[in-house]
Amino acid sequence: MILAKSLSKKVVLLSDGTVVGRVYNLTVDLRTGLLVDLIVKPQTEIPEIVKDDGLYVIPFDSVKSISDYVVVDRKRLRR
Amino acid sequence: MDMISEISSLFGLNVYTDKGIYVGKVEDVVIDLEKRQIRGLALKEYNKSIIDSNASGVILPYRIVKSVGDIIIVKDVFWVKKSEESNKESEEIKGFEELEQVIEVE
Repeated sequence: MILAKSLSKKVVLLSDGTVVGRVYNLTVDLRTGLLVDLIVKPQTEIPEIVKDDGLYVIPFDSVKSISDYVVVDRKRLRR
Repeated sequence: MDMISEISSLFGLNVYTDKGIYVGKVEDVVIDLEKRQIRGLALKEYNKSIIDSNASGVILPYRIVKSVGDIIIVKDVFWVKKSEESNKESEEIKGFEELEQVIEVE
């Protein structure tokens, strides 16, 4: 369990060590409370990540772990 | 309430029960990473006349949320502190005491 605000500005890495950027926000389904996407402020160009309004939109399903860094499974990036 | 929204849009919203009673103000949102789901709403400012706690903040279970708009409406229920045993889990959220619902008020 973590507080949403503690995620803010955490560095996001791909599972192969590539830096993606920093956590900007999270989207949720307010009805079910389920997390939908991680919104990341880009630091590196990664072609397979969907961009919206200049921000990366990473499906929460591909997030592997969150502690000091947020680690995203590169293989699961494609929707 | 069928909508995808940024989690930060919840910060600062006032929480009322469906009977119009003020519950508190959202300070932060507690996330259950394993379930990939919101676990609860962390309130720093809360109505001490309906919530029996001395903690600097309390966590309301998200399942009692009925709707989210300009304010948040939750089911009108009584809350109690989680027992010491079951509260261990939330120790990492400093300053907030997790509540659980006991009886629904009809």
